[in-house]
Formats: sequence, structure tokens, C-alpha cells
Amino acid sequence: MIVETLLDFLTVSELGSVFFEGLAKASLYVLIASGLTLIFGLMGVLNFAHGSLTMVGAYLGGLVMVLTVTQASGTVARLAFFFLAILLVFGALTMLGGAIETTIIRPLYDRPPIYQILLTFGLTLVIDEIVRIVLSIYGMQPLSDWQAALATKPQFLREPAALGPIDVRWLAVFEILIGVLTVVATWAFLTKTRYGLYIRAGSEDTEMAAALGVDVRRVFTVVFALGIGLAGVAGTLLMWDKVWGASVPLAAETLLPAFIVVIVGGLGTFRGTVAASLVVGMTDAVMTWWFVNYIRFTGLPELMLFLVLVVTLIVRPQGLFGVEEVGGH
Amino acid sequence: MPHVAVLALLAAYPALYHTLVETLTLYEAEVLLPSVDTMTSVLYFGLFAMSFDFISGYTGYLSFGHAAFYGTGAYTVILIANGAVPLLPTSTPFMVSLLVGGVFAVLLAIVIGLVSFRLSGVYFAMITLGFAQVLYVFVRGWDYVASNPRDGPSVGGTHPSGFDIGIPGVDPFNIGIGVLAGEEAALLGHTLSSTAVSYYMIGLVVLVCYFAMQRIIHSPFGRVMIAIRENEERAVAIGYNTYLYKLAAFAISGFFGAVAGGLFAGFRRSATPESSFYFLTTGDALLASIIGGFGTLAGPLYGWLFDETIREFLSKSGQGGGLLPYLRAGLGEETLATPVIGDMTLGGLVNTLLNGHASLYVGVVFVLFVLYVPDGLLGTVRQRVGGTLADVARARFRDQQPTPDRPGGDEE
Repeated sequence: MIVETLLDFLTVSELGSVFFEGLAKASLYVLIASGLTLIFGLMGVLNFAHGSLTMVGAYLGGLVMVLTVTQASGTVARLAFFFLAILLVFGALTMLGGAIETTIIRPLYDRPPIYQILLTFGLTLVIDEIVRIVLSIYGMQPLSDWQAALATKPQFLREPAALGPIDVRWLAVFEILIGVLTVVATWAFLTKTRYGLYIRAGSEDTEMAAALGVDVRRVFTVVFALGIGLAGVAGTLLMWDKVWGASVPLAAETLLPAFIVVIVGGLGTFRGTVAASLVVGMTDAVMTWWFVNYIRFTGLPELMLFLVLVVTLIVRPQGLFGVEEVGGH
Repeated sequence: MPHVAVLALLAAYPALYHTLVETLTLYEAEVLLPSVDTMTSVLYFGLFAMSFDFISGYTGYLSFGHAAFYGTGAYTVILIANGAVPLLPTSTPFMVSLLVGGVFAVLLAIVIGLVSFRLSGVYFAMITLGFAQVLYVFVRGWDYVASNPRDGPSVGGTHPSGFDIGIPGVDPFNIGIGVLAGEEAALLGHTLSSTAVSYYMIGLVVLVCYFAMQRIIHSPFGRVMIAIRENEERAVAIGYNTYLYKLAAFAISGFFGAVAGGLFAGFRRSATPESSFYFLTTGDALLASIIGGFGTLAGPLYGWLFDETIREFLSKSGQGGGLLPYLRAGLGEETLATPVIGDMTLGGLVNTLLNGHASLYVGVVFVLFVLYVPDGLLGTVRQRVGGTLADVARARFRDQQPTPDRPGGDEE
């Protein structure tokens, strides 16, 4: 039986579709984790509020879509509104991130780093509850996915696509596209712009960067803001995926995988985060396939993701691309 | 001295509550004071928070998967009561199953610790979180533990009576606890309700555990734990094998965490994966430790008491005390029907803002504590009086001033 299932798994069409699903999942993971890794890399703050801010992004993105899309909107219009939503949410959350950094994270830089982690942990409680209150004012269910936002998805993203013998979903292709775009944009920002240079310098050696005339304080604010903005982009994309969807539990659902990805990749390295997203995404896709087809154990993919985390930390504690000293607190 | 005062207050609490709320029907007391039922949960969860603080506050290693031990204790107790653990019949005394849960947790802590203590800082927090989440996902999907593992196990029909706390085999010492199945007891002509009995009995176990942990903290072993927190390299240089010390401290902390979980399961007679193994359960312990005072053993109990009082004050939706029914009764129908924002009436707004949203206010309080009261309730008090309260009180009694330069806050 094992041989049979293995043969079943090892066909071109199955392997191909699992590979595409894995890429799609990897794109989502890299989106939800890259903001976290930016913030950790420079500031050493493991931002527990990241999941909650992703969730806020999902709701804001959904809000833009629900307000703009009408029944009659065609595919092109819906896609245009989606990119508008991404821009708006990125802008809004970047501002929110900047505000959070300047008001409550900044006073804690002189303290041991644990206090920053604790503070962001407290922030999640506050954000989640505020979202719950707002939702209950509008009579929406906080626990279930926001159906109205899901319904703004263009028709073609609900349909399967066929690439030769391989069955994929158009949504997966779309997610891969957005993921690649975001990775390229972030990478270009970090390596091709002057500000990216400051950020890399700051994360190598904060004091030296400051001595050379970089306003490190402002760099911190910008990085925190951009990291939160990226969380918003991730949220906007997740809103359309019915596996995730805009709901309050999305906060915890995205926070834990994001932690797995940044830790497996090596805290604070963007390259590591991309690599780890691929590892984690592929694991998730393969395990989901086995779960759907043969192994009936609820939570098998989730279980495997945490095992990937544990095994990585045992074998290579600093992560795939991590440097041992980074974040040694 | 402060110990005696706190104990006396805790011991008098059910009587006090009963007198104020039921005999005098003092409405304000009902609104402000947590019920005895809540106080029971403060005790066992306070013990869990203490066990978290024992490892995280004293050695500085943030055990972010501590819920694994709490869950192990809780599930062990229920599974033994349901006859699902081999070799242990359903008739196993509760105290024995508590200890068995504790031993399981010690074994688990050693397995997790052997791997995890090669790491430190964020990495340690994350690997312990990883282990705990593996267990969480596992018990949530394992249909052996319950017919619907997502909802968690509960004590079945094979074990109808409450769980007895006492010395196994000695009948007069065994008194049943349980939120519905507890015993009533007669004491000095008064009848104690089953809630009060559970409160005292669970309090007794918590007290024993507290003093055991305090004894360990004050022993040379505990000094090494603090040395590890303050400067691990130096502790190694002096010649301590810090790895073994950390591992032992982790195992001890796991044991008490499991006892707390066992008490929780014994009292509630059920457990869910969310309320036992989930990482937010550890988060609650963290909250309690920060508010009460990180690195003060008794602090987490006060922290959790504070936290639960806020929660109960703000989120009771209808029955019993709390702010919401108080406002509903106090403001009157007409005031509540006034529209404030758009269609929303004042009553609706009050409902929306208060009903079940205590986490918001707890979160705000937590953030404020991190920002402005980093030593927590107990730690700050100790800094103000310049030493642990016990020392200060002792010094006052002998008509001596406490030594002023004594660093406070990190002992006891």
C-alpha cells in the first residue's frame, strides 16, 4: 500500500500540482514573514503583534474591496481595485507602524530586549480586541471568514487552471506572482537604494552606522513602518484565500508560521526568510497532499511545520542563513 | 509576616465574600470582588504562572512553551479518571494522578530541555514554543484522548464523584473538589459550600507547592539559578555546570506546572487544547508574571489575581457581578436608550465596549506595566521598601532599619 501511494504521489501531474501549491504557500509565507524579519534584523525586536497587524491588513484590504467592487465589476476592474487596496493598506499600515514605533517602542530601547517583545505581545491583545469591538459594532462575526470580502474575488481566480498535465488553481498562480513581486521589490529596496544601505549597515553594526552619520533612530522608525506595511500587503492577499480569509483568529494563524519561517531562515536575514519560505511552503504542500489523500490525521501539515522548526533548531540553531551573533538575546 | 497576612486574607476570603454579598447583599461588593469560583481559578492558574516564573524569571530563559506542562498535567488527570492510561485504573486517587502528571511533565521537560538548553534567548523561547505547539496540534488531532479531540476530553461516567485531595488511603483527609461535583463540609457549626471546599483544598495544594518552590529558590541551587540569569558566563567560570542546573530547574518548573494543570482539570472536570496546550495559555502566565513582578515567586499569583479581577469586573455579561450589569441597573432604561453614535444607543455602546472585551483592558494594563512599571506589582513594592517584605518586616520587629543598600526585587 505504501508503494502504491508513493507511486500515486510520484506522478508528473501530482508532483507538479503539489510543487505549484508549495510555491503559492511559500509566497504567502514569505509575505507574512518578511516584515517580521526586517524588523528583527535591524532592531532585534521579535514583533508579536505582526500577526495581528496582518489581520488588520486583511480587514482593511477587504474593506477597500467591498466598498469599491460592485456586482457588475469585471475582472480587470476587480484586479485594479485589488492593487489599489494593496497600495492603500500598505500606506495605512506603514503609518500605523511608524506611529507605534515612535510612541511605544522607542522608550524601550534602553531596556533589555525582552521588554520590547513583551510590549508587542501586549499590543496583540489590544489590537485583536479593538478589531473584535469594531466588528461587533458592524454586526460581523469575528471568528468566521468575511464572506463579503471573499466574494469580491474575480471569477477566474476561483477556477482551476491547467498548465499542460498539471492542475493548479489560478489563485495559486496569482499568489506566486504577488509573492515574487514583493520579494523582488524588497530585495531591490534593500540592495539598490541608499536607504537600504543604511538599513543593512544598521543591522550589521548600529553604533558604527550612527558614527558614520546615519540617523539610526529614523532608520528604525522607517524599518518598523515598512515591516508593518508588508504585513498589510500579506493580509490583503490572504483575504482572498479561503484557507485563510479575514477573521480575528488569522492573527494567531499567521503569527506562528511567520515565526517558523524567520527562525528556520535565520533571524533577521532576508535571504534566509525567502529560502525558509520555500522549505516551509513545500513541506506544507506535500503534507497537505498526504493528509488529503492518505493520512487522516487532523493538523498533519501544521504538526510538520512545527517539527521543521524544532529539527532546524536542533541541527542548525542559527537557522539556514543565520549568523550566530545576530539577535543573541 | 506578609506571608501570614496574605494567607489570612486568602483564608478569610470565602467567608468575607459570603458575608458581604449574600448576607449584607452589598451590591458594590458583588460588582468589585471576584467570586469564590474565580478565586479558585486564580489559585491554580497562579501556581502555573509561578512555575513559569520559576524558570523564566529566575534563570532568564523564557520558556514560551510552558503550556505543554500545564496541558500534560490536565490531560493526565482526566485520562486516568477515564481509564485511558494503561496500568492506572479509574479508581486511582487524585493525588496520585496529580503526581503521575507531574512525573510525565518532568520527563517531558528533560526531553525538551536536553535539546533546548543548547540555545538561549529568542531561540530558546522559539524552540520551546515549537515543542509545545507540536504537542498542541497532536492532542487536538489525536482521537484517543477524546471522541472529539478538538473540544478536548472531559471526565466521563466511569468517574462520577469529585476528585479527592488528601492523603490516598486515609479517608478522613480526603475531601472532594470539583466545580459541580465537590463536597460540602461542616466546620465549626458552619456549612462550607462545595465551591468554598474546592477553594480551600486547591489553595492547600498551591500553598504546599509555593513553599516548595520558595525553598528551592532560597537554597544554594536557587542561587545558581539567579547567577545564570545575571551572568551565565561567570557562573560557568566559577565552575558550575549550568546546563545541568538549567535542566533541573526546568524539570522542577515543569512538575509544578503540571500540578497546576492537574488541579485545573480536577476542578473543571474537563480541558480543551486551547485552555491547556495552546501558546496563549503560556501568554497568560507571562501576563501574570509581568504584572505581578518577573522574578518574584509570589508575584505571578498577585498578577493573575489582578488580571482576573479586571476580567471579571469588565466582562460578566448578565449573571453575577461586574461593571456591565451594574451600569445596566444603575443607569436606567431611558438613559440606556439614548442614541449616542448614529443608531447606536448608549446601552448598545456600553454593551459593545464592555461585554466580553476584558482582554482589551488587560492588554492596555499590560502595555502600561511594561512601559512604566517594569518590575511589576510585587517587585515595585519591594524596591520601595528596600528589600523583600519578609526581611523588612523582620527588621522592623527587631527595631532595626532594613539595610538601605540592599538590592530588592530579585529574591524570594
